[in-house]
Amino acid sequence: MMAALKAFWNSPVGPKTTHFWGPVANWGFVTAGMVDTQKPPEMISRNMTSVMCVYSALFMRFAWMVKPRNYFLLATHASNESVQLYQLSRWAKAQGYLGKKEPEEQH
Amino acid sequence: MAASKIQALWNHPAGPKTIHFWAPTFKWGISIANVADFSKPPEKISYPQQVAVACTGLIWSRYSTVITPKNWNLFSVNVAMAGTGLYQLARKTRHDYFSEVQEVPAKER
Repeated sequence: MMAALKAFWNSPVGPKTTHFWGPVANWGFVTAGMVDTQKPPEMISRNMTSVMCVYSALFMRFAWMVKPRNYFLLATHASNESVQLYQLSRWAKAQGYLGKKEPEEQH
Repeated sequence: MAASKIQALWNHPAGPKTIHFWAPTFKWGISIANVADFSKPPEKISYPQQVAVACTGLIWSRYSTVITPKNWNLFSVNVAMAGTGLYQLARKTRHDYFSEVQEVPAKER
């Protein structure tokens, strides 16, 4: 247990390096996204949410390809991708883009 | 000579054939989206989202100057993010806390 913690502390992508704190800052997007899921969809920005979806997809790839490979950054952007796609779907639904096929026959 | 310089850039390990180029380049989209949203009514601005944009921008601006080599492209995109985020926050706080003063006398009647 101690050995694992020590390894983490001294890791080349650990808390003594910028490779760690940059992604920590990026968790702000995830947190903000999660908070915003509880707000009405009229508050969702189509521009910002669509950009976030592309941005996090690109940075998932970036985190994988960069040396050293940055799993923490990968996890951050995978999470952001999920929450931003969810927000985008909430926005689309509120706009009527995800309409049901046979609305009259529902329940 | 110019052709080989362009070729060198094209084939660069962090050049336009790689994710090392496109991911940071696309980050400009966040600032562009924010600028497009300057025309939105302040009621629609999200405090958590803009705080995240501003803080990420500020932290990454700092870090892009302490990494080796210094990455001015990364620096500039994050300065822009911090700037647009702070401006959106200013717009919303001004609307929420400094423009209601006019409405109060009307309500008291």
